[in-house]
Amino acid sequence: MKTDTSIAAAALQIALESGAQNARISISRGVENSVIVINNKIDRLLQSTDNALYIQLYIDGRYGSFSTNMMDVDLLRKFITKAARSTVLLAEDECRVLPDKELYYRGNGEDLLQYDSTIESIPTEQRIEDAMRASGEIFGTDKRLLLVEAEYGDMLDYNYTIDSQGFEGSTLQSSYTISADCTVRGRGDRRSEGWWYESSLFYDKLKIEGCSTIALRRSVDSLSPKTLKSGKYNMVIENTVSSKMVAPIISALTGSAIQQGNSFLLNTIGKKIFSDKLTLLDRPHLKGYAGSRYFDSEGLSTKEMNIITKGVVNTYFIDTYFSKKLNIPTTIESPSVLLFSKEKIIDGKNLSLSAIIKDVDKGILVTGFNGGNFNSSTGDYSFGVQGFYFEKGNIVHPVSEMNITGNLISLWNNLLYIGDDARDCAKWQIPSLAFENVDFSGM
Amino acid sequence: MTKESLDRLISIALSKGGDYADLFFEYSISNVLALRDNEVNAIASNIDYGVGIRVLKGDQTGYAYSESTIWDDMEKAALSAARIADEIAPCTSFNHKIETVRFTNRYPVISDWSDYSVDNKKLYLQEINDSVFSLDSRITKVMARLSDSETKVLFYNSLGDYYCDCRPIASIVATCILSQNGVTDTASASMSFRMGSEFLTESLKKEIIKALSDNISHIFEARQPKGGEMAVVMGAGGSGILLHEAIGHAFEADFIRKWTSIFSDKLGQQICSKYINVVDDATITANRGALNVDDEGVVGQKTYMVKDGVLHSFLHDRISAKYFGVSPTGNGRRESFRFNPIPRMRATYMENGNCSEDDIIKSIKKGIFVDNFTNGQVQIGAGDFTFFVKSGFLIENGRLTAPIKDINIIGNGPEALADIVAVADNCKIDNGTWTCGKDQYCYVSCGMPSVLVKSLTVGGGN
Repeated sequence: MKTDTSIAAAALQIALESGAQNARISISRGVENSVIVINNKIDRLLQSTDNALYIQLYIDGRYGSFSTNMMDVDLLRKFITKAARSTVLLAEDECRVLPDKELYYRGNGEDLLQYDSTIESIPTEQRIEDAMRASGEIFGTDKRLLLVEAEYGDMLDYNYTIDSQGFEGSTLQSSYTISADCTVRGRGDRRSEGWWYESSLFYDKLKIEGCSTIALRRSVDSLSPKTLKSGKYNMVIENTVSSKMVAPIISALTGSAIQQGNSFLLNTIGKKIFSDKLTLLDRPHLKGYAGSRYFDSEGLSTKEMNIITKGVVNTYFIDTYFSKKLNIPTTIESPSVLLFSKEKIIDGKNLSLSAIIKDVDKGILVTGFNGGNFNSSTGDYSFGVQGFYFEKGNIVHPVSEMNITGNLISLWNNLLYIGDDARDCAKWQIPSLAFENVDFSGM
Repeated sequence: MTKESLDRLISIALSKGGDYADLFFEYSISNVLALRDNEVNAIASNIDYGVGIRVLKGDQTGYAYSESTIWDDMEKAALSAARIADEIAPCTSFNHKIETVRFTNRYPVISDWSDYSVDNKKLYLQEINDSVFSLDSRITKVMARLSDSETKVLFYNSLGDYYCDCRPIASIVATCILSQNGVTDTASASMSFRMGSEFLTESLKKEIIKALSDNISHIFEARQPKGGEMAVVMGAGGSGILLHEAIGHAFEADFIRKWTSIFSDKLGQQICSKYINVVDDATITANRGALNVDDEGVVGQKTYMVKDGVLHSFLHDRISAKYFGVSPTGNGRRESFRFNPIPRMRATYMENGNCSEDDIIKSIKKGIFVDNFTNGQVQIGAGDFTFFVKSGFLIENGRLTAPIKDINIIGNGPEALADIVAVADNCKIDNGTWTCGKDQYCYVSCGMPSVLVKSLTVGGGN
């Protein structure tokens, strides 16, 4: 991808001339194409190219962040000059500084396998063919099928950052996705929906075949759901949605939540908070994973981190600002490639979803969440769920219109199993998970 | 842009045989000022500009956009969008008589945000900070955020429809963190209107402080209740989220056209009590969901979705309206020039009934009362919807008793609507920062009189 980065240098120069002692400039450029096919007929062809310039100004201990997609130097000069005039009106905040230069990424890392140049030459006809293939795989194969919506999409994402302390870094990532949504007619007016997607950073690894077949199977399997009686059940969460229960932990470990005191994991460093079975890692330099990176948005070098070890919290996610605010060392602003320890929990067995269900024996398999939220201060959660009731390791019937409610610390202390089936295409490598004694409310 | 260049662009967009094309030019400027740790110490601004070009061929869409108005860039986007109609069309030049779309301005700005100084905004946030701290000694932190933006739109289509609109939006959000005996919790309140800087009044400040005060009054006593199916009284105002999630999305006619909504074949049928009227309305002055003209040139209007309990109309954009042979309802909306318009809600509310809220509560032996929400979701085909309750009360023997918080409520749209057995006479529009995300974000609002839903599944312990 050819992108002119000279505008970033010009913007940095203008920022410094406008009174900033320090500044960071980032350029982002995205090229996206998608084809949506409904019931074997093209519904939408979308094409877009996005440009954005981000300007962060550090003036006399004051901070402002500004952005625009207007790349004309004269317009930028007016924009940045005005931005600088606004920034100096703020209260001073001595914690607003650029990072310690020693922490910058200095280059020379091996290729993280994020870019496939095929994306530059895929013709629109190929994109249409791929989406049609996905739709055609199931269209007309089942009388109950009301709609199959298949989408092929690809995206090229380029980011370039420089700052006034000399940091310079860029990333280039391609991604390809095929997805299918199916709607089948159910009991009465009720429809049953099923979806599936496959994604890859490399075009030749994109699994188009089978995607819509899985979506159709998921929609048919979910026909005629029942709502169970309220009670405590074992809960297995499928790998497609299991990150829902991990995200609140990561959110509670961020510098912002810790500094403001609205984190249920405040003051937990070095303490055993979760089950022994929980070991959560960040491995940012794994090759070919969507979240892999050598540096974050501040230019800070990423490194391997053991976030939680056998239930003990080891680290927060602290950027430069919150490092100064809290007077603790900088770590990184957010995790890159999250994964669980590979420690086997069921001796001598694999940890696939079916193996976990067999071992748990009886409970509810959650395959989708429907709304809900959590309280970041207390860790209390309540989410709508759907999925399947299982007994003796076998699926009995689909389940809908139920909520799970409780506290995240209690939940993670009731962890039974961590699977080994994380989807390669996900940014966070979160496998299927199993918990015991979860409060479900239904009838 | 001259009329000649607009016509030329439309001609290119239709060059492969499209039936219809539109151009959506947009320039937006937005500003945010944030207070944290007693100081207004962060500012952000964004300028965004571009043109979206859409071509329709039947119910198929070609869409592309350009972030510049350099002719070559726009021509490239028009050609990309044109490809949806993959035909060799006769080479015709487009030169339609312009028909200016006439509308009533639902958001007249009295004072431009550009004339309002950063110092004045700072002062306003600082006063909010001080007022919040004075509410309760248990408050340890306050965060406040003031956002304003103005979006200028120029629209032109192959029917000759043309309009320019200037859409302001302003929001304020105040959040506080409280601590008591080593336990912390968070409360929040927000207000938003389509207004200029006249938005920042004393009464707005009082209103947001009052809302925050209400939200923290029982925060440490409140618990997650015992879960299960029970009667739910939804208080006036934000309970409109029930309409948005339970029926609003399922009435959006792109889902109807695709036959995926649970309401797809219910038009003209009695779907709830004859005392119920539900409206989606673009005409409430300064409301967050107000819209002079939608994003495909159709004048903003008030649309009855349910009239006297009968499913009266779906929410249409041009594509679905043409498909069903009806007039578009002005619901064709988009997040920005980067998105093609699709059917979206505006301000969705239920009109007044004839009960009183007190009488409704008195009629309940066991249930809950809820009136403070954060988010919701729906599954269009199954009709299952949810919304998250930030706070409320148990109802025991006709009285509000113990405070409750942080629970999800789940139900099925058609069943919940049919289960509304009492509607009060206290309809209130909630003016919080409601934002709807259906592939793309849109400003909306919602409202409701207090209603009794006979049975919903309430999250909680066992």
